[in-house]
Amino acid sequence: MNDKLNQILKKQQEQVDEPHKKEDDVIQLVGFIIGQEEYAVPILSIQEIIKPIEYTRVPSVPTYILGVFNLRGSVIPLIDLRSKFKMDPVKVTEDTRYIVMKGHDNTAGFVIDRLTEAIRIKSSRIGPPPETIHAEKGLVYGIGMRDDNILTILKVEQLLKRDF
Amino acid sequence: MEDIQEILEDFLVEAFELIEQLDQNLVELENNPDDLELLNSIFRVAHTIKGSSSFLNFDILTGLTHHMEDVLNKARHGDLKLTPEVMDVVLESIDLMKSLLHAIRDNGNDTSVGIDITDICRRLDIISNGETMPASVVVAEEVDESAVPSSEEEDNTDYSKLSDKEVEDEIERLLKVRKEEDRKRRENTGATKAAAVPTPSFESLKDNSDNDSDDEAPKVAEPVARRSVGSESSNTAPAKKESASAMEQTIRVEVKRLDHLMNLIGELVLGKNRLLKIYDDVEERYEGEKFLEELNQVVSSISLVTTDLQIAVMKTRMLPIAKVFNKFPRMVRDLSRELGKQIELEISGEDTELDKSIVEEIGDPLVHIIRNSCDHGIEDGATRRANGKPESGLIQLKAYNEGNHIVIEITDDGKGLDPDLLRTKAIEKGMITEREADSMSDKEAFALIFRPSLSTAKVVTNVSGRGVGMDVVKTNIEKLNGIIDVDSEVGQGTVIKLKIPLTLAIIQALLVGAQEEYYAIPLASVLETVRIPLDEIYTIEGKNVLRLRDEVLSLVRLSDIFGVKQVYEGGEHTYVVVIGLAESKLGVVVDTLVGQEEIVIKSLGDYLQGIEGIAGATIRGDGRVTLIVDVAALMNLAKGITVDIRASAETVVKTKTVPSDYIVLAVDDSAMDRNIMKKSMEPIGVKVLEASNGQEALNMLKSAEYSIDAVLIDIEMPRMDGYTLAGEIRKYSKYKNLPLIAVTSRTSKSDRLRGVESGMSEYITKPYSPEYLESVVRKNIKL
Repeated sequence: MNDKLNQILKKQQEQVDEPHKKEDDVIQLVGFIIGQEEYAVPILSIQEIIKPIEYTRVPSVPTYILGVFNLRGSVIPLIDLRSKFKMDPVKVTEDTRYIVMKGHDNTAGFVIDRLTEAIRIKSSRIGPPPETIHAEKGLVYGIGMRDDNILTILKVEQLLKRDF
Repeated sequence: MEDIQEILEDFLVEAFELIEQLDQNLVELENNPDDLELLNSIFRVAHTIKGSSSFLNFDILTGLTHHMEDVLNKARHGDLKLTPEVMDVVLESIDLMKSLLHAIRDNGNDTSVGIDITDICRRLDIISNGETMPASVVVAEEVDESAVPSSEEEDNTDYSKLSDKEVEDEIERLLKVRKEEDRKRRENTGATKAAAVPTPSFESLKDNSDNDSDDEAPKVAEPVARRSVGSESSNTAPAKKESASAMEQTIRVEVKRLDHLMNLIGELVLGKNRLLKIYDDVEERYEGEKFLEELNQVVSSISLVTTDLQIAVMKTRMLPIAKVFNKFPRMVRDLSRELGKQIELEISGEDTELDKSIVEEIGDPLVHIIRNSCDHGIEDGATRRANGKPESGLIQLKAYNEGNHIVIEITDDGKGLDPDLLRTKAIEKGMITEREADSMSDKEAFALIFRPSLSTAKVVTNVSGRGVGMDVVKTNIEKLNGIIDVDSEVGQGTVIKLKIPLTLAIIQALLVGAQEEYYAIPLASVLETVRIPLDEIYTIEGKNVLRLRDEVLSLVRLSDIFGVKQVYEGGEHTYVVVIGLAESKLGVVVDTLVGQEEIVIKSLGDYLQGIEGIAGATIRGDGRVTLIVDVAALMNLAKGITVDIRASAETVVKTKTVPSDYIVLAVDDSAMDRNIMKKSMEPIGVKVLEASNGQEALNMLKSAEYSIDAVLIDIEMPRMDGYTLAGEIRKYSKYKNLPLIAVTSRTSKSDRLRGVESGMSEYITKPYSPEYLESVVRKNIKL
């Protein structure tokens, strides 16, 4: 009786584990453009993507923090990735979006120039970040190689970490 | 195992509640030593805790409460007089009991903290034996107690003379007698449950020997039995019944759940504000329509219910301030004995209710204030007599509601604060300069007591004088957005008033505009608002000040503190919001006053937490986020700002000198009309921009790319007409003074009126002469 039960349990466990193994190989990302480069973040860390809305400036914070905005009753900080990556500011266009990302205990909106697409990429095609790619250390999770271009995959936890 | 944990938690909750009551009762008891009711209830507390703790195997606690019970029992039966000396020991033992309970709460047992109770137990024993017999052995005492009610003559033999063996034999014998009696009594009582029936003979006998009540009798029997008999006893029964009926029907609710409820209500209040705002807009647009009335009804009823709901939920979180006040009689009593002064404490308004979170914060400041009053305020008896005051000092503790605030007043009739002494001390310590001291009003001098390390006490005592306490008061009250007011007269006494908002989550706020930005200032901290001409601002030692009635007020611009971009100058007048917190005051210069609004405080989240000067955010009726000013931090930030308000206001004015610096925007859908306008303005030499409809013009103004000095507006235009455009432009505070000139072929009076309503500053009808347009534009941009 006990053996039988164990076997069933084992089988069930394998069934549970299996799809994981398959999916482990492929990572789903959302790609977006800031400046000239394409970046991406894991799709699961994105809460939602919205069109630009009004925000309120917050005093005595670094310039890349634009302020806070109202997302259905929650007050959420808005961070300008252009300014964070030390690029020149541009005006809001039709394509500008706020990506609202969610970490363990923080949620923040990030201004990006344009969305590209949802991307599925094999983890074997993600390389470690080159050492000199960014002034902002630790923000890059890895470099994704694609057929026609490369992606900079960002670390969401790091983006959501207060660094001032 | 879990069961035990649950029982333990229940035990602790119950025990802490009982103890709170206990302190109060004991002090009262000292004043009315004959109040049997009080004694009984105190006895019951010790008794209940003893019972529960022995059940849970807390031996130390059981031992301690057992000894206390003995003393209290004696007192209850009049065998012992409750002198202050006795009370000292009893109170000390209650303190020990408290620490034991804390230890149990923190560690789960009463042994690990190493509290030693042998000494206090011995002293309790001495007291309990003192008047009856010299024996100090606990066993003997128990024998004595069990012996008393048995009412047999030979029981009153002097046990102290017996040897241990004899004592034990005696116990044996008495137990037997006891059991026999119990058995007989049970038979007597039979099925009749009334307690009074079986005891007449019994009681009369006892009354002869001493004043014991019958629940004393089964004392040696197990606690359960005793308790049941105790509740039947004629003596305690009425008291019990009374307390049972007085006990309100309550349920315990986790604070977390209430917090959650409060958050939801917060969302609802935001929704309500939003709805009200939308209703206003709709009303404006569809004036006179029938559905408006219906909508109005719904909006009003929702708003009413929301407000009621909010109050109802707030009330569930409210606790009577008695919870804090209760510990003070005991504290004052201890202090007065320690300091050798006679001090009376009068408490009133202890039913006043406050939010739970505030009740928790308010305790410490009050302790410090009252300690201070006892130690420094009230003089010793001899001095008081010499000054013609009653020998015993009086401290009054009062709580009452005042609007959305609760006021706690601490009054003493002591020697009062000497402003001159305070000034001298502060100068000695280098806190203020002599000049500052000279210009200081008495009120400001009193406020010095809240500075750290200032103490006027000549000696540092056990109680106070180190100059720390009042600093704590200030910090805690500031945390609660409260205001402290000190008033004192030398020789007459001191009054300290604490004014604290009722709740922390939803507050009334004053909304102010600093240039283009809006901020909310908690109304609790706003003392008044004034409109002043700029030339009333003076500069003293690099600081901006305003003379307001008989006070000199420091001024700071909100936009300087928060680094708001200066986009327009405010004109010759400005608004000053006078804020007060704890004991200090500050004038904050703002550009606009928007009004008073009920706001819900939201956190800025981890990412933006702890930004200096910002206490949180709220969402306004229009959906925008408005930041809430942290008044305490603002006062600190203000110290570092040295912008000369008058000078900077003057430099902003008129950077434009030649006509070509000026820009006029011509808005018309006809290119020909725009050309005519342009031509007419050529003689002035101003730069002219063009827009073909209202929307385009509005976007140009919004982008703030050009600093536009006047707008010529045609009324009939596609996409957005002239009236709407004017209305939209006036919504921006920086354009509230921008000249808007309507240029139109509509000539009727109602059209003109509409023009004025929408915010037009001039109305020119087509056709017009170029010279006329030119002169109107010149007049408006002052060229």
